Amino acid sequence: MPHRLGPMQTLPSPMRRFAENETVDYCIVGVGSAGGVLVQRLARAGFRVVALEAGPFWDTEKDWVSDEKGSHELYWNDLRITGGTHPLALGSNNSGKGVGGGSVHWAAFAPRFHPSDFRVYTEDGVGADWPISYWDLKPYYELLEREIPIAGPAWFPWGDPHGHPYGPHPLGGVGDVLVRGCTKLGIRSVAGGPVAILSASHGDRPHCIYRGFCLQGCKVGAKASTLITHVPDAITHGAEIRAHSMASRISLRDDGRVDGVVYIDRDGAERFQISRAVIVAGYAIETPRLLLNSACPGHRHGMANSSGTVGKYLMAQAGNVVAGRFEELIRLYKAPPAHALSEEFYETDKRRDFARGFAVQTVGPLPVAFAKQMIAAMGAWGWGLRSVMMDYNHWATIGVLGEILPWEDNRVELAEEKDQFGLRVARVTFNLHDNDKKLIEFGKKRVTEIMWAAGAQQVVQESRFAHLVGAARMGADPATSVVDKFGRTHDIPNLFICDDSILPTQGSANPGLTIQALAARTADYLIRQGDAIFFSNYRDLAEPGIRYDLSPPYTRFKGIPRIA
Amino acid sequence: MSRKSFPFRSTGGDLRDLDHPGYYAGLSTLAQKRSWDEATRRAVTERVEKTPPIRFFSEPEAALLDAVIDRLLPQDDRSEARTIPILPVIDERLFKNALNGFRYENMPPDQEAYRLGIKAIDEMARSRFKQHFVELTVHRQELILKSLHDGQPDPEHAVWRRIPVHRFWALLMEDCVTAYYAHPWAWDEIGFGGPAYPRGYMRLENGLPEPWEKHEQRYDWNAPADSLSVLDEQGAPPEHGSLHGHGGSH
Repeated sequence: MPHRLGPMQTLPSPMRRFAENETVDYCIVGVGSAGGVLVQRLARAGFRVVALEAGPFWDTEKDWVSDEKGSHELYWNDLRITGGTHPLALGSNNSGKGVGGGSVHWAAFAPRFHPSDFRVYTEDGVGADWPISYWDLKPYYELLEREIPIAGPAWFPWGDPHGHPYGPHPLGGVGDVLVRGCTKLGIRSVAGGPVAILSASHGDRPHCIYRGFCLQGCKVGAKASTLITHVPDAITHGAEIRAHSMASRISLRDDGRVDGVVYIDRDGAERFQISRAVIVAGYAIETPRLLLNSACPGHRHGMANSSGTVGKYLMAQAGNVVAGRFEELIRLYKAPPAHALSEEFYETDKRRDFARGFAVQTVGPLPVAFAKQMIAAMGAWGWGLRSVMMDYNHWATIGVLGEILPWEDNRVELAEEKDQFGLRVARVTFNLHDNDKKLIEFGKKRVTEIMWAAGAQQVVQESRFAHLVGAARMGADPATSVVDKFGRTHDIPNLFICDDSILPTQGSANPGLTIQALAARTADYLIRQGDAIFFSNYRDLAEPGIRYDLSPPYTRFKGIPRIA
Repeated sequence: MSRKSFPFRSTGGDLRDLDHPGYYAGLSTLAQKRSWDEATRRAVTERVEKTPPIRFFSEPEAALLDAVIDRLLPQDDRSEARTIPILPVIDERLFKNALNGFRYENMPPDQEAYRLGIKAIDEMARSRFKQHFVELTVHRQELILKSLHDGQPDPEHAVWRRIPVHRFWALLMEDCVTAYYAHPWAWDEIGFGGPAYPRGYMRLENGLPEPWEKHEQRYDWNAPADSLSVLDEQGAPPEHGSLHGHGGSH
């Protein structure tokens, strides 16, 4: 049986296997949203690349199910310790494990960040500025919107207004509630996207069938994950994806450059992949954890941590869910959970008593997730729980997606406890600060008003968080950041970080599209630099210029976004 | 699964044994399994046909936890043949030490939390009512559990100074609903359409049923009126504390 990636696509075979002790150009740790794009670009440009992935290489037809409980293995379920005044729920709530990473179970909202997100400190005196601007990233947003590709409205009015290459999806019950409520209050909204879900078939991927199991891994192949959008092309071009390979330590040479990654293979044996440069793409928890676990002489407090900021300035977005019960039936399980939103409250508003803002988005919990929400939001148990669950089809759920600022005390450290490989696990500390609390209160109130305006007869809410980013941030100053604007660590010239951990701030946009756009930009930089990365310590900060000839097949001239 | 005769008054008279509680009479998601993909069919069918054995809990522990679960997620209205297994699913998770990806810094590991927590529940029963929890009337069992739900253990117990009671409550409740609402009989109860690949849905708006789904047919469901767990809309806490993460939703 061929290895299936959706009903129409198969994994290119055979995949190149580098021999033990064979030196490669790049060893990438983690094949998720960023790692998938990066490995595809580097392979196409002719580099010898091995990408280590801690989890399995999914065969979507065999391994994935149209079922909530049966999809548990998509998540990073290994132990992490969580604490602080507002401890983050981890596990299913964030990183994935397996090729495709979190892009396998994301809801796939794919909005861009706003231009203001890159200058938060300059504009509002809080958070941090990015070392790049929106306009540096814009060509990559447009390119990835075609490669993924994104479906959405022809006119997206917020931030830098833009259109989308594929048309919007039809409206489901929850989207209808969001649009009705917003309209009644004079709040602009859009429906049917922007989402990384196909509204029409594309190459060897079918269109969406509206079954609502986006978070359980899209067996249809309509929802984009790097497993199906970029990894096949990487393999076609000679990259090796090594699944079940858990990186334990980055290896440092006497001259202060790294020379490979120590990892544990599927049989529990320790192995070493020698490489001329290393790129860590392990997500906002595993990336700082690996750097901290790689402490060695010269890097006593963790690798590339001379600034002391590795693990710090971790962010999550406020993800409060407001649930409303309606007299009529909604059936919130149909249609993608992600399908309508408003960014009307995204920007700082001087009339409010806090900086920055939030988005309003549909969510679509399936029965187990919805039951958990009712336990939290209503204190439901026993007969009360049974009875509220019998009304499942009467409820609609709308989420706040609020910007929480980067704070030094929100961080990833190493706990004393060890995992099954003997590696110290991550300890995550999360505290809400004054601005965050005011923003969340305001956001909850506005979304509750939207729910009442849509005609709900009962409204409850649950506090939660989504989307971990930060913890190895980029910046121009090596004293206050870990990597430069291309993801190169300030301390080690051939060690890079390329994932959501480099974000200095997070806006109120779901980070997936931005992570992939940044990965394509880092790839262009590495390709432009060529062999200099492997031999020179010189840090060239010139812009590489965007490469339009490295996209996966079927995407280059498909559906140019309709820019307003 | 242990079941109790039910001493409550229920709104519709005595509790009847139902094969299919809920408002969607005639809905059977399992009857649709020929239109599911093979991997999903296998996973869901196995869930219905194979109940895992009890391997983690001792016999007395299992009996105690089963009595607790009977109040946290009561099924007295379900016929014996249509009772959804919950304890075996929790036991299997703990036996395999399958984690959900994290632990709160002030919580012991799940296995230890369960053992300590249910032992404390039994000791609370003995100290307050001079009987084991399993021997208590349903009302007295609910009194003990409601005090944990409210975050005010009555009587106090040393374990709740070590384990935050709201975290333990969340752990228990979330494990219970993960077993119950993952079962196709529960999908039939709440009108959820179940797996839908490769067929998909065609009626997305206005809450319309697919041809194989059912319209809602409401009636006075006979939940007991005097259970302490009946939702009191006025008294419902605005929020019950943050819990284990359910699936990322944005």
